[in-house]
Amino acid sequence: MGRTIIHVDLDQFFCACEEQHDPTLKGTPFAVGGRPEGRGVVASASYAARTFGVRSAMPMAHAVRLCPELIVVRPNFPAYREASQQVMERLHALTELVEQISIDEAFLDVSALGEPGEQVARRLQATIRAELGLSCSIGVAANKLVAKIATDVGKSMARSGALPSAICVVPPGEEAAFLAPLPASALWGVGPKTADKLAGMGILTIGDIAAWPLEDLARRFGQHGEDLSRRARGQDDRPIVTERAAKSISQETTFAHDVRDRVRLEQTLRAQAQEVAAKLQRKGLMGTSVKLKIRWPDFTTPTRQLTLPQPTDEAEAITDAALRLFNQIWPERQPVRLIGVGVGGLGTPPRQLTLWDASTPEEEARQAKLREALAAVQARFGAGVVRRGSELGEEQE
Amino acid sequence: MKLTCLQENLKRGLATVSHAVAGKSTLPVLANVLLATDGGRLKLAATNLEVGITHWIGAQVQEEGAVTVPAKLLADVVGNLPNDRVTLTLDARTQTVKVECGRFTSNIKGIEADEFPTIPTITDRDPTASLPPDVLREAIDQVVFAAASDDSRPVLAGVLVRLRDTRLFLAAADGFRLATRTVTLPEPVAQAAEFIVPARAMAELGRIAGDSEGPVTITVTPGGGQVLFHSESTELVSRLIEGKFPDVERIIPQQYATRSVLETAELAKAVKLASLFATASQNVVKLTMEPGGELGPGRLIISANAAEVGDNTGELDGMIHGEGGQIALNVKYLSELLGSVKAAQIAVETQSPQSPGVFKPVGQDGYIHIIMPMSIR
Repeated sequence: MGRTIIHVDLDQFFCACEEQHDPTLKGTPFAVGGRPEGRGVVASASYAARTFGVRSAMPMAHAVRLCPELIVVRPNFPAYREASQQVMERLHALTELVEQISIDEAFLDVSALGEPGEQVARRLQATIRAELGLSCSIGVAANKLVAKIATDVGKSMARSGALPSAICVVPPGEEAAFLAPLPASALWGVGPKTADKLAGMGILTIGDIAAWPLEDLARRFGQHGEDLSRRARGQDDRPIVTERAAKSISQETTFAHDVRDRVRLEQTLRAQAQEVAAKLQRKGLMGTSVKLKIRWPDFTTPTRQLTLPQPTDEAEAITDAALRLFNQIWPERQPVRLIGVGVGGLGTPPRQLTLWDASTPEEEARQAKLREALAAVQARFGAGVVRRGSELGEEQE
Repeated sequence: MKLTCLQENLKRGLATVSHAVAGKSTLPVLANVLLATDGGRLKLAATNLEVGITHWIGAQVQEEGAVTVPAKLLADVVGNLPNDRVTLTLDARTQTVKVECGRFTSNIKGIEADEFPTIPTITDRDPTASLPPDVLREAIDQVVFAAASDDSRPVLAGVLVRLRDTRLFLAAADGFRLATRTVTLPEPVAQAAEFIVPARAMAELGRIAGDSEGPVTITVTPGGGQVLFHSESTELVSRLIEGKFPDVERIIPQQYATRSVLETAELAKAVKLASLFATASQNVVKLTMEPGGELGPGRLIISANAAEVGDNTGELDGMIHGEGGQIALNVKYLSELLGSVKAAQIAVETQSPQSPGVFKPVGQDGYIHIIMPMSIR
């Protein structure tokens, strides 16, 4: 039994949020991102701006040269996260099998709904538009690999300057045929280097990869070659991972002007370590390694890493390690363009349970009954009607 | 004031009351010990306003009187004197106490006795109960360490004392473990009572009971604000903690999936070894219970694993009945518990990795110690 996977990608998401906030932006060329005077980059460009060649990740200064009337909007991430959460709630309403891959993208496994994928996609798109006023593009296929590429293909077929709001369906069994004409670089795992190497072999399309002898790809690229061959034939059996486990938590800063002052660099590291520690604590994680990343003005970006004696989520331990690494790598007075601290080797520390965690079966049943009753009352009279007494006290103060 | 007593008795008496001397206080007199003649004896008293301890020693009183002197200095001086007769003489004008023993003379400046807070005694009330000192001492030692060491939930920094019929019940819980001890008394209590004593005061009472030969009587003030413990030569008064102690009976599991009976000393040794590694990994030790078959005994495996240090595994034979399974515990709690158990064998009852481990010394029905596991994912 094949699966039905849906890939949802919100169209020009940050820009869409800004248009809701300020409707006069609609239809105008604008970009969300950092200031052009500094080293800001474009985080999201409106479709009107895209007709001028403005693209995400482009330096804002360059974007303004391409489109002199470009309106630059400072990002409001809290608002984007809020909107994203609203969208994710709509997805979760459909199925538990949701894998969020970024603020504006997610996979869903809708196989169990027993409905054609396209029908589910249309309904989902309509819900998100009607309830949240957001446009999205959707790819439907038998696996994550093809569904994501389908979304990109659907978007690329949209009329220039308009919201794509695309739905692209790849019927089961047609994956290889669908992928075949696409450029090799559209395939996951084909970066610029691999693309160059493939081009040198005369391989330009995904179809070329699929047709190439597997043994030869394996000989040239090792395991990666085998993976490419399999993907090029549209095969991918990775499941939907419902809760993405973070591999590392990091914080980095690009300076507006290169910094060579030790005090300033150390202060930045301390602040970053604090922030990383706070994130770890919020997520209930501890890490076993600390990594320092530094970028020189020529864009070379060395990193140094060390392993901690004990897993930690404390700012002090992270700061100490980061400063030690910094002193190893930084020649005094050397200008620094970017600096960052990350903690890896993340895991959930053992948690000491309390006596009150141990509830008897009767207590468990009582609690369940209470929850049920509360839910019933709230469903009828609204979420705010039943509150804890302690909350009322706080309100009065 | 002028009196003579034995250095040995004075030294012991000062040690007994010293635990109630305030370490740091804005009231200088609380760092002092009260010396007062009292019906042919010398009364020594100290208080930190939470706990007050009074101790009497035999003395030849030549002149009545009272004074307070720095507790630590006096104890240090007396401790260094020869084991001989000590004469204490107060110069009322300068409030200076002359300490004479053999060929040594010291003068210690004191503070007037009037400035010393009155330590309440309860004389107009019959004791609530009378307890054998050795039994009391053992019971206190088995529960007091399980009380919380901070005051974030005040009742948990205390020991619950329940007196009813011929039963004394003590309980302490810091939120992660619970120790309860029931003692059957030789005679019924005069009056049923239930109160919470600060753990520090309870630990003092344990020490006092250990030094006492006669019974220890308990009297609760009519208002319920204070409790007085009285032994032949020592009195301890403590304020009580207000509030409701958690319902301990509900916390104690009534069933188990696996019951393991182990040699206490062997288990303690294995735990000690594991603790050398566990301290580097959040104190986690894992106990794995493997039930025995018809022919052989079961096994208990104790392991600790610290990523950066190394690991340790220990195996014990034991009578293991039931399903078997695994539980992860804080090694500190486990060692403290084992340190308080005198029985040769201990039973461990477990249900699941998320349910408490219940420890019961074999042959001592009155002691139940519960340790909540650590959840490892």
